Amino acid sequence: MNIFLHELKAYRKSTMIWTFSLVIMMVLFMSLYSSIHADAEAFLKVLKNYPEAIRNALGFNEKNFLTVVGFYSFLLSFVTLCASLQAMYLGTSIVSKEVREKTADFLLTKPVTRSQILTAKLMGAVVSLVITNMIYFAAASFMAFQFKTDDFSMKIFFLLSLTVFFVQLIFLALGMIISVIFQTIKSVLTVSLAVVFAFYFVGMFFDTSGEKVKRYFSPFKYFDTAYIIKHSSYESSFLIAGAAITILAIAASYFIYAKRDIHAV
Amino acid sequence: MNIYFKELKSNRKSIIIWSICVFLMVASGMAKFDAYSKSGQNMTELLKDMPKSLRAVFGFNELDLSKVSGYFGVLFIYLLLMATIHATMLGATVIAKEERDKTYEFLFTKPVSRSIIVTAKLLAAITNIIIFNLVTMASSMMLLAKYSHGEAVNDEIARLMAAMFILQLLFMVIGSALAAVKKKSKKAASLATGILVFTYFLSVAIDLNDRLTGLKYFTPFKYFEAKNVMYGGGFAAVYVVISVVLIAALTTVTYVFYKNRDLNV
Amino acid sequence: MDVIEIKNLTKTYGKARGISNISFNVEEGEIFGFIGPNGAGKSTTIRILLSLIYPDSGSAAIFGKDCIQFAPEIKKNIGYLPSEVFYYDNMKVKELLNYSASFYKKDCSKRMKELTDIMDLDLNKKIDDLSLGNKKKVGIVQGLLHEPKLIILDEPTSGLDPLMQQNFFELLKEENKKGATILFSSHILSEVQRLCNRVAIIKEGKIVTVEKISNLTENTYKKFKVETKAPLDATYFQISGVHNLEVKGNVTSFIFKGNINEVMKKIAGVEIMNLWIEEPDLEEIFMHYYEKEA
Repeated sequence: MNIFLHELKAYRKSTMIWTFSLVIMMVLFMSLYSSIHADAEAFLKVLKNYPEAIRNALGFNEKNFLTVVGFYSFLLSFVTLCASLQAMYLGTSIVSKEVREKTADFLLTKPVTRSQILTAKLMGAVVSLVITNMIYFAAASFMAFQFKTDDFSMKIFFLLSLTVFFVQLIFLALGMIISVIFQTIKSVLTVSLAVVFAFYFVGMFFDTSGEKVKRYFSPFKYFDTAYIIKHSSYESSFLIAGAAITILAIAASYFIYAKRDIHAV
Repeated sequence: MNIYFKELKSNRKSIIIWSICVFLMVASGMAKFDAYSKSGQNMTELLKDMPKSLRAVFGFNELDLSKVSGYFGVLFIYLLLMATIHATMLGATVIAKEERDKTYEFLFTKPVSRSIIVTAKLLAAITNIIIFNLVTMASSMMLLAKYSHGEAVNDEIARLMAAMFILQLLFMVIGSALAAVKKKSKKAASLATGILVFTYFLSVAIDLNDRLTGLKYFTPFKYFEAKNVMYGGGFAAVYVVISVVLIAALTTVTYVFYKNRDLNV
Repeated sequence: MDVIEIKNLTKTYGKARGISNISFNVEEGEIFGFIGPNGAGKSTTIRILLSLIYPDSGSAAIFGKDCIQFAPEIKKNIGYLPSEVFYYDNMKVKELLNYSASFYKKDCSKRMKELTDIMDLDLNKKIDDLSLGNKKKVGIVQGLLHEPKLIILDEPTSGLDPLMQQNFFELLKEENKKGATILFSSHILSEVQRLCNRVAIIKEGKIVTVEKISNLTENTYKKFKVETKAPLDATYFQISGVHNLEVKGNVTSFIFKGNINEVMKKIAGVEIMNLWIEEPDLEEIFMHYYEKEA
């Protein structure tokens, strides 16, 4: 479909920049793994002398620093944050880009339904994200093999990396519905930054309490890396919650967009 | 000045939202503090034993987490990120939005010189930055008093706020200079944010890797670190000079380029 | 001292041609038209006058002062109406007008009220909610409320309904009577013919000519198409001033320049079924103009 290809082309440069940034970030962290690993082993011996309470307060998970997979999951939180920004930015732009660049009158008077337009744009965004994830995963796997200190399960590694994509999908859907409701968003960047960081801070805040319920409030907490490593799978309740939010938001976007007045230039 | 007041009015909603976010940030951060403070003495020793790389990864550095001021020093980096993102966006958009919204044909054909317009807009941006700074300071002083157990922290907070103000100014003029120089000033915001994110990661990388220490002059996040400002010697002269020079230079760039650029639809 | 003095103004956009060696003057108290096809360079010239963009070479003076060096001072007495109006979305009409007035160190409230009444503006509406034509009206009031001595208009009537166009022209004429000079760019010949004393024609970045309107109208021709009951003899309409005569079946077409009464006599002399008389468009005028030069 022409709109789909147009969107892909339009996002090409930005997708490349995001992919590049994510890969660089991951590479930087992973390359430090070996030195951290050595330090961690030494530190762990010291840590054994201290009471449990302190170890918990610190939130120091020995697994994080002694295994490749553990360290990778530590780095994932940063990667997910950046990746979510990309997804949110894409989602929020879906509709507001046409309004902002005043091309709404052009596109919406073509012989296509509004749903077709949304689908094409959504697919363009999803495919851009998929490309980013694929390149990122390839690079991450390479790095992991280079620096591994122990054998690790590729399946777990894959599951962990996939969480980035899932969180991106959630933010993509969120961005999409925001974009459909508030058509005239002057600064997409500000809105994206605000929403993503807000959820990130909420996630950090509720982390201290440890109640499971509160984890639902922030997509960043839906995928607990410790659990994934241990069970080689996701927690189904959160998976369902994430999927539900994504599907609902997207469905609502279609519905609202079909009925809305399109804001004139 | 009419331009100044109108600019303030346009930013009213935004600064209120940011202020609330800052307050929540400090509040949620301090809520976590309790866990650290209760572990008392042991904590300090534990951290001394922790290898440098691990400390860097956690963002602890040389701060004493059992003291409220030390903990605040760790929290400070997040507040600083928020403040600099806010300042960068302000700087990059405050003048450039006239081109983005195409209202420059109205404003720039009024009997005021371009320099006066730039001055009014920058002053409005600085006012917003000051408000952000004051809200942060007030929230911090208020909330820290609850947990301080008698430790006098207001002095340290004030000094950190002064450091934050310098960095806010610096990133603001980075944003405005970029907007002035770039032909498509719309892109200035994302580019400026990119620079900010890059310098932040650079500062983290410097912490992780001793070999990179020479690069610390390239990232403003290393100029006034919490541990130095609060306990060390305060503000290192070399960094103050660098900051002042950069701010002056970039401000000049903003004025000169706005004076001479073509304003086109 | 002429109100506007333009000398050898040149501006190129990279490789694209902008304007090249433009020179003309606008005298005080006249209504000066500035016409040319799309992309000829009218807006470029005007934007240089308003110091929105800067020339590569040449200069322009308004009220005797260099338009770039003394821009803020000059603009105190300039009212500008652009072709496309963009304002701050969240403002109400009266907020924008008051904001605009605050730039001129004088009390504009009386004139503002008069103008909004003439243009029939609802002051309490949000600018965002206005139609394009109504936004244009806001632009007109905004451009005139400080009673400027020089009014610069860039394709001003696009978007206005015929009644409002009338009101607008009356307004302009009134301002002119009070002593204002008007520079008026357009590619609609009829408007220019109605209002202007003199006109500059620009094409492909260069001034083709500067002359009085009266000369221009004298030089224009009309296109005729006459449908008769039976095919006409080709020689019937061959009088002086007729060119490009063509007979296709029952329809005879030609272009004519000269005393229109001569043609009318000819038309009255045959029994006609239908008659079309058209004004030439600007491109045709220019073509004709070049022919005349040659």
